Amino acid sequence: MKISMRRSSTGRRRTSAAVALGAVLALTATACGDDGSGAAGDEGAEGSGKGKIIFWDNNGGVRTDIWKQIIADFEKANPDIDVQYVGIAATEYQSKVDTAIQGGGLPDVGGISASMLAGFAAQGALDPLDDRIAESPLDGKLNKDMVESLRAAGGGDDQLYSVPTSANNGVLYYRTDLFEKAGLEEPSTWDRFFEAAEKLTDEDKNEFGYTIRGGAGSIAQALDAMYGQSGITSFWDSTGKKTTVNDPKNVEALEKYAALFKKATPAADLNNDFTKMVAQWDSGQIGMLNHNLGSYQDHVKALGEDKFRGIPQPTGPGGKRVQVSNPVDGIGLFKSSKNKEAAWKFIEFATSAPSNSKFNESAGQVPAHADAAKDDWIAEAEPTKLAADALSDGSTTIVQLPYYLPDWNTISKADNEPNFQKVLLGDMSAKEFLDNLAEQLNEAKAEWDEQMA
Amino acid sequence: MITKEATQAAPAPAPTAPEPPRPNKRRRAWDEAPRWQIYLPLGIYLVFTLIPFYWILLFALRPAGSTSLVPWPMTFVHFEKVWTDRSFGTFFYNSVLVGVATLIMTTLVALAGGYALARFDFRIKRGFMLALLCSQFVPGALLLVPLFEIFAELQMINSLGSVIIAETVFQLPLSMILISNFIKNVPYSLEEAAWVDGCNRMRAFRVVVLPLLRPGLIAVGSFAFVHSWNHFLFALMFLNNQEKQTIPVGLNTLMSADSVDLGALAAGGIIAAVPVVIVFAFIQKWLITGFSAGAVKG
Repeated sequence: MKISMRRSSTGRRRTSAAVALGAVLALTATACGDDGSGAAGDEGAEGSGKGKIIFWDNNGGVRTDIWKQIIADFEKANPDIDVQYVGIAATEYQSKVDTAIQGGGLPDVGGISASMLAGFAAQGALDPLDDRIAESPLDGKLNKDMVESLRAAGGGDDQLYSVPTSANNGVLYYRTDLFEKAGLEEPSTWDRFFEAAEKLTDEDKNEFGYTIRGGAGSIAQALDAMYGQSGITSFWDSTGKKTTVNDPKNVEALEKYAALFKKATPAADLNNDFTKMVAQWDSGQIGMLNHNLGSYQDHVKALGEDKFRGIPQPTGPGGKRVQVSNPVDGIGLFKSSKNKEAAWKFIEFATSAPSNSKFNESAGQVPAHADAAKDDWIAEAEPTKLAADALSDGSTTIVQLPYYLPDWNTISKADNEPNFQKVLLGDMSAKEFLDNLAEQLNEAKAEWDEQMA
Repeated sequence: MITKEATQAAPAPAPTAPEPPRPNKRRRAWDEAPRWQIYLPLGIYLVFTLIPFYWILLFALRPAGSTSLVPWPMTFVHFEKVWTDRSFGTFFYNSVLVGVATLIMTTLVALAGGYALARFDFRIKRGFMLALLCSQFVPGALLLVPLFEIFAELQMINSLGSVIIAETVFQLPLSMILISNFIKNVPYSLEEAAWVDGCNRMRAFRVVVLPLLRPGLIAVGSFAFVHSWNHFLFALMFLNNQEKQTIPVGLNTLMSADSVDLGALAAGGIIAAVPVVIVFAFIQKWLITGFSAGAVKG
């Protein structure tokens, strides 16, 4: 076989050079990283109060614009401080922070909601904030219930690790046009709710009274429906050692609620997470939806303001309204921060009345700052106003979910969501499901009490 | 340590005269089958695969709040929103950079490693092959913390370089195994002939072997590009700066904890899918040849 010995053609040389150049350019362009310093054991420092700080938003994307506005306002007022915003999707936030706690790279400031506070605090990643608040204009201005909710979620050492920014609340959205057409009254009681769910359903026309959450996040919604109907006002019994989730009244309530599946809901609801649930309510002919204030703007965009209302959960026995708590959102200071003074200035600014008002108007949630809660926009956003009233006028009892239990997220998600689907499909009884859930919760509580002791 | 060169592959068989076509009853029966028996199952399959794509297009092109089943009136407002407001232009650029750099690095290293595995015998070769295979069973998530610490030591956190290196490392085992099989399929005698004509090993490889590896290189390169384009975990964990994030991370931020802009999400999904579709459209011929050739040990 004859092999040509002529030298490489110009084309080949060009290709080789391009490949080499490409690799070099790519790596050059992508270099200039940092050491990601800042892990859980790092004590950090107060710093100079100037320079750069990094802020991780725990619900990045949709809120990016409003945070960038607040950051621009802050940088204008504090020209010596540069805030680098990093928006992280809510679903990935916990794993990203957990990785940074182990490996380094924690930011200075981060969004810390009650649902993930216990885990971060237990790993020693957060700085306690009581002393800083006591010396700041925020003292006495923050909603006491929200502060207590975050304090309780913080790991049992009675310290506050996150300054509250907002509270979410369960809302029953209903289609006013469909209710009017069917001659139904507002579903302000659970009896009316079940009546409407049945009457608005016409499977042949693909019309349904309700959409149930059968996929991710189903447990919190089922608990809301259970406690709302049963009127039980505490998650733990009087001994504080046993949960009330499998109380016979709750079992009965869950049986009634789960029976709606396929009778008054689409069959596809079995896998509904909030995205699918909200999407099908916004684009279909479904009478009612249970979600929180966060999706209000999506409904306005899809349906317009005239076709639906968002009201607090229905009232139960004796006209009492009982709801389970939604996680309070807040901002925390990471212990490893090398510039805590500047980081605290940012937290103080972001939770001040003007910023807190701006943020919550955009997010459609209840402000944590007392002065922000008096702003005019709240009266104009009906579901937010009704939720704020319900949370503050004494008409509603909130059952505090045990966010402080380190196992809460596992128990209320991975361990029991598949079982709830079995309940919907009739493969498991409501009692069996709740007994199993209660056993896991009681065990987790006993472990927690032991650790605290 | 290299001990000896691998046993020569058998020389290519001499070409023989083609046999006359034999009547094949089964073949004929298949050829004569009514067309609907072919097109109906294909059509049903296409309906199942294309409806989700149509749904994404519908959400991306119709105005927010519309319940129409056709994207009319058509709007590009969702594309504008994600491209400018949500920085998808930047994410797209970063993803291209990561994808192309991973492709180049994976192909180059897999070529060198694959050649060594195909042409040399060395003491730990079997153990090395086993280790390569075993590395495929370890999920990336398990290695996040150690990888994070390594990149932190190298001052590479928040650099696209960390993602490129991690993606390359995770792509290499499979790519190396595939390339080594491609090289084994190239008769060793071709290289020997080149040596006889005065080439050194490198030049013989470049002039004789490399051109025959084109389907394999395209298969491995495209696989590396598409995988790194779609991969989410490393970019999420190693990049903390909004300006350095990639398309999958950007897509994820379009879904908040309790609200989702479906129009923007669908538009972002289309932007993310277009390069992959284009890559596959251009290379599908070589990709199938490449994977089938690499699957057979020479």
